Amino acid sequence: MLNQALIVARKEIADNWRDRRSLVSALLYALMGPAIVMMVSFTTRASAVLIGMMSVFTLVSAFAGGVNLAMDAVAGERERRSLLPLLLNPLRRRDIMIGKWLAVSLFSAAGVIINLAGFAIVLHAPRPMFLAAAAVLPLALLAAALQLLISTECRAAKEAHTYLSMLVFLPMIAGMFQVFHPLSPRAWLNFLPVLGQQLQLEQWMHSAPVSFAQAAGLCCFTGAAALLILEAAALRLERDEIVYGD
Amino acid sequence: MEVSNLSKSFDGRSAVRGLSFQAADGAITGLLGSNGAGKTTTLRMLCGVLQPDSGSTTIGQDSLGALLDHTGLYARLTVRENMEYFARLRGMPSRAIADRIAAVIATLNLETIAERRAANLSQGERMRAALARAIVHAPRNLVLDEPANGLDIHSVRALRDLLRHARDAGAAIIFSSHMLEEVRALCDHIVIIDRGCLVAEGSPAALCLQTASASLEDAFVKLTGTQEVPAC
Repeated sequence: MLNQALIVARKEIADNWRDRRSLVSALLYALMGPAIVMMVSFTTRASAVLIGMMSVFTLVSAFAGGVNLAMDAVAGERERRSLLPLLLNPLRRRDIMIGKWLAVSLFSAAGVIINLAGFAIVLHAPRPMFLAAAAVLPLALLAAALQLLISTECRAAKEAHTYLSMLVFLPMIAGMFQVFHPLSPRAWLNFLPVLGQQLQLEQWMHSAPVSFAQAAGLCCFTGAAALLILEAAALRLERDEIVYGD
Repeated sequence: MEVSNLSKSFDGRSAVRGLSFQAADGAITGLLGSNGAGKTTTLRMLCGVLQPDSGSTTIGQDSLGALLDHTGLYARLTVRENMEYFARLRGMPSRAIADRIAAVIATLNLETIAERRAANLSQGERMRAALARAIVHAPRNLVLDEPANGLDIHSVRALRDLLRHARDAGAAIIFSSHMLEEVRALCDHIVIIDRGCLVAEGSPAALCLQTASASLEDAFVKLTGTQEVPAC
């Protein structure tokens, strides 16, 4: 039932909200981009460089906002052995995963919004930021699902941390590649999660026209990928190893 | 509560083999066995978190309160919030939750720690808080895996009183323990398993009589100390 997923989500949000270390690190990640771009903007006015940098930081912020919660919410629960008592309650494991995903998504989305708000101030461009937020927010849902899937595969928070910190390189690599090696424009790239968001971000920032169909298509593909990965994570929560062995 | 012909293996190694026993209403049943005998696996299947390979258990998750192997409290939540979370997941209405939590806090003497975060509790306090969370939905039956581990004398007595109280109210209770004194003092019925099989069951006195032993410890050692793998 959705109701139970919401109860799980609410608890995870309250729990993570009290984890100061997690909040501070997420906030630093979100504001690092605007701070660095501001420093660079003192030395160069070349907007292509600034926008290229910004897009990388914004993509990373989608992966950074909820990473600590994702780590804690499954691998951490297994490590502290609080997952077993949770599973004793009469609720479907899928609902547990959905609840955790909603909570992680919220923090990921908050990371993106804080990051874009920072850029709106630094680059004096509030309007494109709204549009950019619409492009990047679905990526926060995908990042949350991916992080939870990895977290579900791990026995301890530290193990999850190892893999999740590698995952942050995914948007970084995509972004860097675009900045230093712009791909020739191919239509399908616009629909590829991560890369699609990167391209769209740059288009918004350069005030280039973005087709509605393209934006909607990317949003749908990213959302569908998030749901598929979420389903995979929910299935992985069903296996015996989750409650067997320590 | 009843398990019949329960089997479970992990990676080809069988942990529980064709185990059957009953835990009657209004009685405390002790599950005894050496380390690795299959107690924890059995209790987890009984509680429905592990699916058996074959066999069945008759118990509803709704009527069951369980405390397995570890307290597993959420460190950043207070004792009350830990209880509230599980009560909500059980679908209890908000009004009933507040009343029930007040009642559980009174029963287990948690007044001084109810508003403290679980991270700041002592081991005994944590166990009591976990027990409170396990019974927050007023379950009819209880399954406890080594509940007395790490508890001080006062807490053990409080636990004993709680179990006797629940039994007298008609609950079926199963608990596992290594402390045979504890088991002898509390249990009406004992089930002994070894390497996944049932080797004996009966009242503490009957088991001593059956093995011609003076103490339950001697009876346990005679029943489980054999070299050959028990047939079942």
